[in-house]
Amino acid sequence: MRLFDGQRAWLVQRISALLLLVMIVFGVLALPFAPPLDFAAWRAFAGGVLGGPLIALLFGALCAHAWVGMRDIVLDYIQPRGLRLAVLSLIAVVLLGVLVRVLLSLATVALVA
Amino acid sequence: MKLNIYRFDPERGDPPRMQAYEVQPEAGDKKLLDLLMRLRVQDDSLSFRRSCREGVCGSDAMNINGRNGLACLTSLDGLKEPIVLRPLPGFPVIRDLIVDMTQFFAHYHSIKPWLINDAPLPERERLQSPTERERLDGLYECILCACCSAFCPSYWWNPDKFIGPSGLLQAYRFIADSRDTASAERLDFLDDVYRLYRCRTIMNCTEVCPKGLSPSHAIERIRLALLRRSS
Repeated sequence: MRLFDGQRAWLVQRISALLLLVMIVFGVLALPFAPPLDFAAWRAFAGGVLGGPLIALLFGALCAHAWVGMRDIVLDYIQPRGLRLAVLSLIAVVLLGVLVRVLLSLATVALVA
Repeated sequence: MKLNIYRFDPERGDPPRMQAYEVQPEAGDKKLLDLLMRLRVQDDSLSFRRSCREGVCGSDAMNINGRNGLACLTSLDGLKEPIVLRPLPGFPVIRDLIVDMTQFFAHYHSIKPWLINDAPLPERERLQSPTERERLDGLYECILCACCSAFCPSYWWNPDKFIGPSGLLQAYRFIADSRDTASAERLDFLDDVYRLYRCRTIMNCTEVCPKGLSPSHAIERIRLALLRRSS
C-alpha cells in the first residue's frame, strides 16, 4: 500500500463528509426536542446502545475527514520532506489521540452503566 | 487606451517591472491582440507569442486584468483600463509575456495523448457510432493554451507532479474514446495522490477556459471511472 493513496483517501473524505453532514444536521435539528441536556443526560446517552456507537462514528468520521484534509494541505504547501513528515506525524498523533480518548471515555461510560 | 504590461528581460538582469503604455485603437481593432500588435510598432522590444489570431493555436494566452485568457479572443469593449497584462501565473517567465511551457507539455506527453489500440487494423478506418463520437465533444476542442492550468491553485503548488486541468481533460479525451483500448492503463497511471487527486474542484479551470470547455467535469468523470472500476 502506498503511503499517500489517491482514490481511497478521496473516497474516505467524501463518505466521512456525508456522515458528518447527516449527523450534524440531525443533531442540530433534534436538539430543541431533546430533554434538558445536563451531565447525567449526556452520560446516559453516551452509555446507551445507540448513543455510544453514534458518538464513536461521529468522531471516527471527524478524525478521518480531518486527516485527509490536513494531509492535502500539507502536501500542497509544505514541500521540504523533513518538515512535511514532522507536521504529518504531529497531525496523526493529535487526531489518533482525540479518537483514542473518545473511545476510552465511551468504554468507561458503557462499563459503568 | 491605457495598458500596464509586465516587462522582464533576463538578459538585462533587471528585476521585473510594470510598464505603462498608451495606444489608440484604429478602426477594425476589435480584440486585445490587435492593440498589442499596434503596440509592437511603438515598442518592438515588447515580447509575446501569437500566431493564428483566431483562438485556434492557443499561443497568446496571458493574464488579462487578473484573468487568464487569449488576447485574440478578448474584446476591447468592456476591458477595464488600464488593461493590466501579465504572463500566465505560476509559469516560469522567459521574457515579458512569454512563459516556459516545457513542464506543461511534459504533463501532456505523460498522459499518452494518442490512440492506443493493438487490435489488427481494419481495412478502412476504425468506426464510431454517433453516440460514441458525441462523448468526445467538449474534450477534443482543447487547444492546450494553458489558461486553465495557469489559473489552478493546485497546479501552482505542485506544477511538477499534478498533471493539471488541461492534461487531465486530454487524458479523459482518450479514456472516453471508444477506439482506445488502454483505458485501464490510463486509469492506473492517473490513480495517484498527485497526478489526479491534487484537484480540489476549485473549478477555476472551467471558469477561465477560453474555449468554454469544462476540465473539472472531465476530472470528475475520471474519478467516477476509477470508482466504477474499483467497485
